[in-house]
Amino acid sequence: MTYNDVLLQQVINGVSLGAMYSLLALGFTMVYGIIELINFAHFNVFMVGSFFSRWVLKLTGLVGQRVALTGFPLVGTLLLALVCVMLFCGLLGVAIERTVLRPLRNVPGTAAMITTIGVSYILFNVILLTQGADAKNFPNPMPVVVWKVSGADLRLREVLLWGISLLLMGGLHFFVRRTRLGKAMQATAQDQEAARMMGIEVDTVVMTTFFLGSALAGAAGLIFGLYYNFTSYVIGYTAGLRAFTAAVLGGIGSIPGAMVGGVLIGLIESLGGQLLATRWTDVIIFSILVIVLVLRPTGLFGRMIIRKS
Amino acid sequence: MTKIHRRQLMMTTVGALALATLAGSAGFAPVQADEKLVTIGIELPLTGADADSATRIKNGAIMAIEDANTAGGAGGYKIAVTVLDSGTSTAGQYDPAQAATNAKKFVADPNVIAIVGPEMSGEGKAMTPILSAANLAAVTPSSTNPDITDPKFAALYKPNGKAIYFRTVTTDAYQGPNMANYMRDTLKVKSVYILDDSGAYGVGIADHYEAQAKKIGMNVMGHDQLDPKEADYTTIITKIKGLNPDAIYYGGVAQAGVKVAKQIYDIFPTVIKCGGDGMVDGGILSGVGFPAIEGWYVTQASPHVMDDAAMSDWVARYTKNYNMTPSDYAITAYDAVSVIVDSIKRVSASGQPVNRDTVRDAIQGTKIDTLQGPVSFDENGDMLNKVISVFEIHHDAGSAEDDVQHQYKYIGVAPESPTS
Repeated sequence: MTYNDVLLQQVINGVSLGAMYSLLALGFTMVYGIIELINFAHFNVFMVGSFFSRWVLKLTGLVGQRVALTGFPLVGTLLLALVCVMLFCGLLGVAIERTVLRPLRNVPGTAAMITTIGVSYILFNVILLTQGADAKNFPNPMPVVVWKVSGADLRLREVLLWGISLLLMGGLHFFVRRTRLGKAMQATAQDQEAARMMGIEVDTVVMTTFFLGSALAGAAGLIFGLYYNFTSYVIGYTAGLRAFTAAVLGGIGSIPGAMVGGVLIGLIESLGGQLLATRWTDVIIFSILVIVLVLRPTGLFGRMIIRKS
Repeated sequence: MTKIHRRQLMMTTVGALALATLAGSAGFAPVQADEKLVTIGIELPLTGADADSATRIKNGAIMAIEDANTAGGAGGYKIAVTVLDSGTSTAGQYDPAQAATNAKKFVADPNVIAIVGPEMSGEGKAMTPILSAANLAAVTPSSTNPDITDPKFAALYKPNGKAIYFRTVTTDAYQGPNMANYMRDTLKVKSVYILDDSGAYGVGIADHYEAQAKKIGMNVMGHDQLDPKEADYTTIITKIKGLNPDAIYYGGVAQAGVKVAKQIYDIFPTVIKCGGDGMVDGGILSGVGFPAIEGWYVTQASPHVMDDAAMSDWVARYTKNYNMTPSDYAITAYDAVSVIVDSIKRVSASGQPVNRDTVRDAIQGTKIDTLQGPVSFDENGDMLNKVISVFEIHHDAGSAEDDVQHQYKYIGVAPESPTS
């Protein structure tokens, strides 16, 4: 491998990481856009999603690393797992919103945010106590297919990860821009009061937002497992924190911002590790965040939030 | 956890019953129970990423205590046991803060006269100042960081002056360097990249390894630290692949180790992979899985006696009792209890009172033959016998995937001095 190939490989790694961060960041940014709440439970909805998809894959008879599927069985299994985990996590998100956040919706201050931290800890400890703390082997049904791009390796699972992420983000974009409910979401994000006066069911909109955001987190959980072949109860924190950073970097509340922010953070992480040292990763990421926010407080794509009186 | 409590309760009850019967049948005035019952504390990370190796160690210690009680106790004393866990959910593995809390609990219990444990050096560093103040001796079956017993750091780890940290394994001052010798001489490694997991043990063994590797002329291409909670090490492993060293040496325990092994297999499978005793763990075998974990070279800081004919009964008994195979550190844990039991016997025979001070002094003067061979300590608490065993992970399809006895193949001793 020449040095340029190594850099190319790091870009491939970084984009893969970034795609995962983007999927997660979308959930943060959508909820914030609608109700101005930072939802810390999102971290661990993602983690629960990876455990749930592991369970689904095990039910289809996949255990460990030795079963490789091809063709229709592979696509079918992955699609089944994807649909199941997105539904499950979507409903989990809705349940969290309906039971603990809706009663707090109009309570001023940080009560709702603190509540999401509490929910996050509950999910974290439920998984820890029922599943144990060691890293779990995640079934990997994908055959090892490697393409050579110059001297760098591009694997099937990376292509798949990018593909699923692009598809989901495209779908979300279409939903928000083109459908009635999506337009209702935009309207609610701009001005909840006015939207309500125009006859928009704000509760339905908020619920849809939680469903979509959490479903994307569930998809990210499955992708995480397939990409790294393991899962553990701690994965929510590092990935979640980076994704949150990505959302802020892109401009919290902005959907394209979350997508771009995620990929940027992924690239900063991989290239920073290559050019400096891995142990400095967090310092690099958060320094860039601080610099961006100082120069552009709304983030890269953020719009100024008009303070509601 | 319930298992431990039940066992603990049971052992205490057995001890007390035995005393009651003794006192009753002999018709003497009943002796006070606390005069004839001593407690050995066990301190290990029984939950979290280290649970597998810790449980195997715990079983070795429990088995030794049960054997001693069956054989009539130690110098007239029955032995009770208190087990404390240092794993916490926030750490996800051993937690030094919890280890310190556990040390305080042991100190507060006047019946505890010695401790078996801890498993991890990070725990040991947190516990020793507290144990030293109470002159309560710990015999560790597995923690290998040399600093803890190094006279240079006496002010930190034995402020009271006397050695209270004894080991039935040797230290990373041998484990790291001897492996460097083995890698250069036997595995023909000329260049290496070093990773550690930022923990007390991982940093220590990696630094000792690095110093020796440089001394014997290996090309150390870099040394980077990993955050054990991080999921993604592809960046650093890609960087290493770009440098193309002959080998990677990883100093650290399971939490980062599982991910390191998985991702090296994906990105750079052809490199020679080596690690210390932190990579000996059933949870690593099942977490990484075969074939990804195949071919790792790892060391243990004790002689490998498990396959000896003389040990076959012991191994069979352990496997039957605990429904898992023993690790080498289950044997050193058994030996740690033997050291304590022998010390109590000697104190008792000399007519002195059996307490923390006398037991510590007796442990210092240990000279016994244990399962692993003769055990005695230098004035710092380190074992005089220093053997580093090397293993290669090689899949044995006939055994369970997490069977540490059969998936790690013993391949020899790592030499203390290089051959050339």
